[in-house]
Order: sequence, then C-alpha cells, then structure tokens
Amino acid sequence: MSKLPMKRVGIYGLKSRRKEILEALQRYGVLEPISCDLSGSGFEKLDTARATARFMNAKNILERALGVLNEYSPEKASLFSTLEGKKTMTAGQYYELIENSDNALNIAREINELAKRIYELRLELVKTENSISALSPWKDLDIPLDFAGTKKTAAFIGTFPEEYTAEEITAGYFETLTQRGCADDVRYAIDVTVVHSDRQMTCAVIIGRRDMKNELDGILRERGFAAPVCRAGKLPRTEIERLRSKIAGIDAEIEENTARIVKRAESRRLIEFMADYYLMRIEKYELLCDINQRKKFFVIFGYVPEKYAAALEMFLAERYGAVTEISEVSEEDEVPVLLKNNKFSSPVETVLETYSMPNKTEIDPTFVLSLFYYFLFGLMLSDAGYGLLMILGCGFVLMRLRNMEPGMKKTIKMFFYCGISTFFWGILFGSFFGDAVAVIASTFFDSDLALRPLWFEPIKDPMRMLIFSFAIGIVHLFAGLGIKLYQLLREGDIKSAFFDVVCWYLLVGGGIAYLLTMDMFVSMANLSFKLPPAVQTAAVIAAAVGAAGITLFSGRSSRNIFKRIAKGLYDLYGVTGYLSDILSYSRLLALGLATGVIAQVFNQMGSMFGGGAVGAVCFTLIFVIGHSLNMAINLLGAYVHTNRLQFVEFFGKFYEGGGKKFEPFSANTNYFKFKEEK
Amino acid sequence: MENLGIIFALLGASLAALMAGIGSAIGVGMAGEAAAGVVTEDPGKFGKVLILQLLPGTQGIYGLLIAFITLSQIGILGGSSDISVAKGLLYLAACLPMAFVGLWSAVKQARASVAGIQLVSKRPDQMGKSMIFPAMVETYAILALLISILSINGIGGLNI
Repeated sequence: MSKLPMKRVGIYGLKSRRKEILEALQRYGVLEPISCDLSGSGFEKLDTARATARFMNAKNILERALGVLNEYSPEKASLFSTLEGKKTMTAGQYYELIENSDNALNIAREINELAKRIYELRLELVKTENSISALSPWKDLDIPLDFAGTKKTAAFIGTFPEEYTAEEITAGYFETLTQRGCADDVRYAIDVTVVHSDRQMTCAVIIGRRDMKNELDGILRERGFAAPVCRAGKLPRTEIERLRSKIAGIDAEIEENTARIVKRAESRRLIEFMADYYLMRIEKYELLCDINQRKKFFVIFGYVPEKYAAALEMFLAERYGAVTEISEVSEEDEVPVLLKNNKFSSPVETVLETYSMPNKTEIDPTFVLSLFYYFLFGLMLSDAGYGLLMILGCGFVLMRLRNMEPGMKKTIKMFFYCGISTFFWGILFGSFFGDAVAVIASTFFDSDLALRPLWFEPIKDPMRMLIFSFAIGIVHLFAGLGIKLYQLLREGDIKSAFFDVVCWYLLVGGGIAYLLTMDMFVSMANLSFKLPPAVQTAAVIAAAVGAAGITLFSGRSSRNIFKRIAKGLYDLYGVTGYLSDILSYSRLLALGLATGVIAQVFNQMGSMFGGGAVGAVCFTLIFVIGHSLNMAINLLGAYVHTNRLQFVEFFGKFYEGGGKKFEPFSANTNYFKFKEEK
Repeated sequence: MENLGIIFALLGASLAALMAGIGSAIGVGMAGEAAAGVVTEDPGKFGKVLILQLLPGTQGIYGLLIAFITLSQIGILGGSSDISVAKGLLYLAACLPMAFVGLWSAVKQARASVAGIQLVSKRPDQMGKSMIFPAMVETYAILALLISILSINGIGGLNI
C-alpha cells in the first residue's frame, strides 16, 4: 500500500540521436515529461505543428480505411474478443514494418477511394431506380414521351392528378367548351387514350387538331393536366429497359469494388500498425515541440519512478550516449502518483482512481479499501450461487486471456475476489440461488433437503442482520478515522491527531458503548449480551471527554475565543453525521435481502408447474432467465452501493484526493503493444 | 367483515409493488431517454449510461421485496390467511413507507441519473462520481425499505 517514490530527471542527449532517444523513451514508457521553458538561457523549441498536422491527416486516412474494412470485411469476433489485449510487437518487427509505410498509406487511400466510389454508385442506383418508377406508368405507351403531334394534329402527353376514364376527359372537355360559349362548328373531336390510371393520377395521351392546340392546352391545364416529370426521347418501354441494364451495370460495379476492398483486407494488420505508428509519432511530436534544445544537444525533464530511474540511466547511456541527471523531488513539485500494491489489493486501484488519486500528503489507502471492498460487496450480493458464477466466469477469462489490457484485467480480478467474498457470505447465510436447493428438492424429489446456513438467514432474522450491518459500519468508519490518525501521526501533528481523531473515537465509541448498557436498546436489538453498568460510567466519561475536546479545540485555528467555541460546537454537531453514516450501512441488509428474496420469487415461480418433465423444463427456463436478471441487477446494485459506502462514508473520514495520476510518455496505441527489447 | 384483515394486508402489499414499480418505471424511462441520446452521439458509452439508467430501477425491486414478504407473512402464498382487521391495517401501514418513498425517490433519483448521464457524456472519466449522486437519493428508499421490512417482520409476532 504505497505510492511509488518518484525522482526528477533531466535527460541530456545529442541532437543527432534525438529521434532514437525519443522513440526508446516512448517504448520504455516510464518518464512523465515536465514542460518547462528555458528560452531565456539560449534554448529554443521546435515548431512541430505542421508535421503533427501531417501525421494527423495520415492517421485519419488509415483509420477511415480501417472503418471501411470493418464494414465490408468484418473480422470474426469471438465472445471474449473485446476483452483480449493488444498484440505485442518487438522493436525489430517495428522497424521492419516501417519500411512499408508508404505502401500502407497507398493501400488505405485506395480503400477509401473504392469506398467513395461505392457510395457514389449507390446514389446513382437510387436515382436510376427513381427514374424507373416514374416511367413505369407509361410502359404501355407506344410513342415516345416527347411526341408533340403531326402536321395536322397536336398531341398532349401528361398526367391528371385524379382518376379519370377517357370518356370523362372527353366529356369534361366539351363541357368546358360549352361553358365558354364556343361555336358548334369548332367543336372538333379529340382522341383520348388513358395509358394508366390509379387514385392519385391518370396518365393520358390526348390528340386534337393542331389549329385548336392553344384552346386544348388551356382547358387541359385548368383540369390540372401537366407534362410527365420524366422525359424520354425513346419509347418508355425501351427507356425502362435501358435503365434496368444500367442498374445491373451499377450492381456489378459495386460488387466488383466491394470485392476489391475485401481483397485489400489482407493488409489490415499493416494499416493498423501504421495507424498506431502515426499515433505514436503524433504523441512524440507533441513532446518534441516541448523539448528545450540548443545547437548540438537537447534536454528533457520529467518524473520517473525511483525503481526505474537507475535502469533508465544505464539504458540511455549505453545505447544512446545520453546523460541522465537524477535528483530528488522538491516540496513544491506536483509529483504524479503511481500506485503500487500487492496482487490482492491492486485490482481495487481502479476504484480509487474513479474517485481521485491521493494527494501529496496522503497515503495510498488501497489496501484497507480493498479489504472492505471485497467484504462489503460479498455481503450485499451474498449468494453462493452467484458468487460461484462470478468466480468461474472471471477465473475463466483470466486463465484464457492472459494478454488483457491492464485496466480490464484489474476489473476482472476485482470481480473475481468479490465473487469469492459473495460465495463466502452466501454459504454463511445459506443462500444458493436463493432457496433453490430446498425448492428443487421439494418440487422434484419430494424431500425436505435444504441448504442450512452456517450462520443465520437474514430473511428470517432481519433485526440481527441490521445490527450486524451497523457493527460493520462502525468498524468501517473507525478504520477510516484510523487512517486519518496514522496520517496525522506520520506528519507529527499530535494535536490534530488527538482533537480531530481520538476525541471522535471517544465520543462515538462512548456513545455506542452507552447504548449497549441500556436495557431498552439491548432488548430492541435482540442482543445476547449486555455490557455491565460499570462500562456505562466509563462510556459517559469517554463521550464527555470527547465532546469537550471537540467543542474546545476543534476550532483552535481561530484566535477569537467565541468564534472558536462556536466553531467547536458546530463541529460537535457533526456527530449527527456519524449517526446517518452508520444508518447508511442498513443498505447491507436491504441489498442482501433484495438478492435473496427475488431469487426466492423466481424459484417459487419456477416450481409452480409442479414436478415431472414439463415442470422441469419450465423450472429450468424460469430459473435461468430469472436468476440471470436477478444477478445482473444485484451485481450492479452491489457495485454501486459498495462504491458509495467507500466514497461517501469511508473516504469522508480521511480522504481528499486530488493527486495527479502518473501518465508516462509512452505508446498509447490502439492495435499493437510495443515492447523495448531489454 | 371478518375477512377485511386480509384485504387490507393485500392492499398494502399491492401498494408497495404498485407505487414503487410506477416510480421505477418512470425513472428508468426518463434515464433511458437521456441514455439513448448519448448513445446516438457515441455508441461506445453504452455500458456506462446503461448502468446509470438502471439506478432508479431498484425501488421497483424493493417494492416487490416488501410485497413478497407481506404475501408470505399473510399466507397468500400458502398457509393460513386468518388475519384480524387490526393486523391487516398494520400490514397496510407497514407497506406505506416503501410505497410512497419508492415512488418519489425513484423519480427524483432518475433526475440525478439523467444529470449523471449528461456528465458522463461530456466527461467519461468521471463515471465513479456520476454514480454517487443518484446513489445518494437511493439512501432514502433504502431507509423506507428498512422500516417496512422491520415492521412487517414485527407484526407477525404481535398478538392482536
């Protein structure tokens, strides 16, 4: 349980070997650079904005090509593939692949071009299909759509926005002529052919005398007659044929381009590698623009964990002739924090990180945190069956996928340990998929076999569980206070240690001891023991000393005596906070019961179908679905509320956080892991 | 009239499941809308926002829990269902904390969840903290659950 001590380093290297040194540092990944400006003393910095932009561009091309590949030729993903880590690559392979860098970019560009072409073809396809559907009402017409008539006749080809028959159109035409008072001798007949009609439109060809063209045109327009949206110089039928064959051509071309993309998929690894390569170069150049350099040499400042400092110095000196100056960190330095814990506790570091890293003066609380984390999580889920599933599931993943990302591995490990704790509490409370054993035994085998709890069943005796939960809470809170005490003593602040911690121990501890001597409380809580009256006096004295200490001294930073007492009284009021903190642990009971009772509900539902084959099938079905659901929702509940108890109740007693996480200059790649050959 | 006891008791059990269930349904629905909005922008955040969406769902489960314990105590799930009127009313009263606090806390928790989802959409690294805010609201549902459980368990032993 500790924060790794850090050293401040300055690395001086020759400018001619700058590239190699930076790349080595990136692969080594133990240095967090500090930005500092030495321009006053003859150093200058490099402007790398343009180069960075170029790399960014190349990276985007590669990433886009990978996106295209994933769309047209997705890789087969196994169930655990998201958990699998990145492939490892040595420096040797790295330099070998870099030879192909131009090649990869060209392939990527080609893939992007092909994808763009497919996109255009698809647009074209939609357009052509639209034309066909616009033409299809005209497919029975045997003259071209732009036919306007002969020397003596005028032809109108178009659509009405309503459903008409040929007779209706003719009748309507003559009706309008009559209305206009047209002379009888010019009421020449017209020829109407309806090519297609449905509720929304009527496609018609109307032929009349050429000298009546304008009148005819006017009357038709009045009735909403309009030229067709599509134009075709040929017969509509022929035009549709042509478009159909065009679609076939487009389809073939899309297929061909897709095949070409799929063929490029063999270069996926290379493209992934190059995407990583450019990402690394971008990161490198971001550092590069921050490096102070002179004519012949450059210097990088940064933090390195103490245990790597000497090795790094050797490595850089031997291979690259660079000089590393190692110095102690000073008080003012914002030293980044890297946690180091044993195998059992380190998984919980991720929980600590989601809250905050410890600041300069704080110790790393991960070890104590992990003890309570596993303990409380198990207590909330408290089912041996679910615990077993967690152990098997996480264990399997840990065994099979050894190359997982460190963060993911930690999380899985954490749930593995939580699973062990869940199993343990499940056995103590006699819960294995709820009361599955008893239900199965009585439904299918007519026996009264049941899993007996090693300790007691919270469902039968919730009061006992509640008191146990409060007891756990008191231990947890006092452990938090204990860490504060340790920190204060380590700093040598005896005064604060006494007034801010010991007094609270006396007050809260005294209060609890006093409660335990009272008949009323003991009978209410159903306790099997009662502290003797002598303890009562001692408890009162302890609590009084604690309260007095807090009232008189917790406001000791104020000079004014009234202000000081007022502040002290306010702090004393904080004792209500302890009350609510302890009550908050009742969630241990509530969540534990929730798991157990809902599991019972599902078991009971399953057993409703009785014994026999049908019953067994129904039971299995309900059992699997119900318990998956219950486990999922209660896992979430246990996770959230364990975090809450840690963050709010436990950390509230001693932890502030606010430290900065150690983020070394390294290759934060997406596809490969690069290792320095040591 | 002598059967009124069981009616009151069942009314209590139903109210607990009903109101807490309604609250959680509203809450999970609200949070789901917000979560879907985030996922349209960044499908990668699905896992995170799903957790936040589910947080107001626990009240419904607590309601179910109270309803179930009551049902098994009053003998509806088998056993004798001979409950006096006074006892029936006591069961009804015992279920009320879970019913009312379940309804309101789920809705209010959902609002905290929605805010948390927005927080995560902008700062995915703050997941841990965004879960704590809704979890704070849930405390009161848990306290109500506690009182309901303790009361229901106590009523069985009373001699009225």
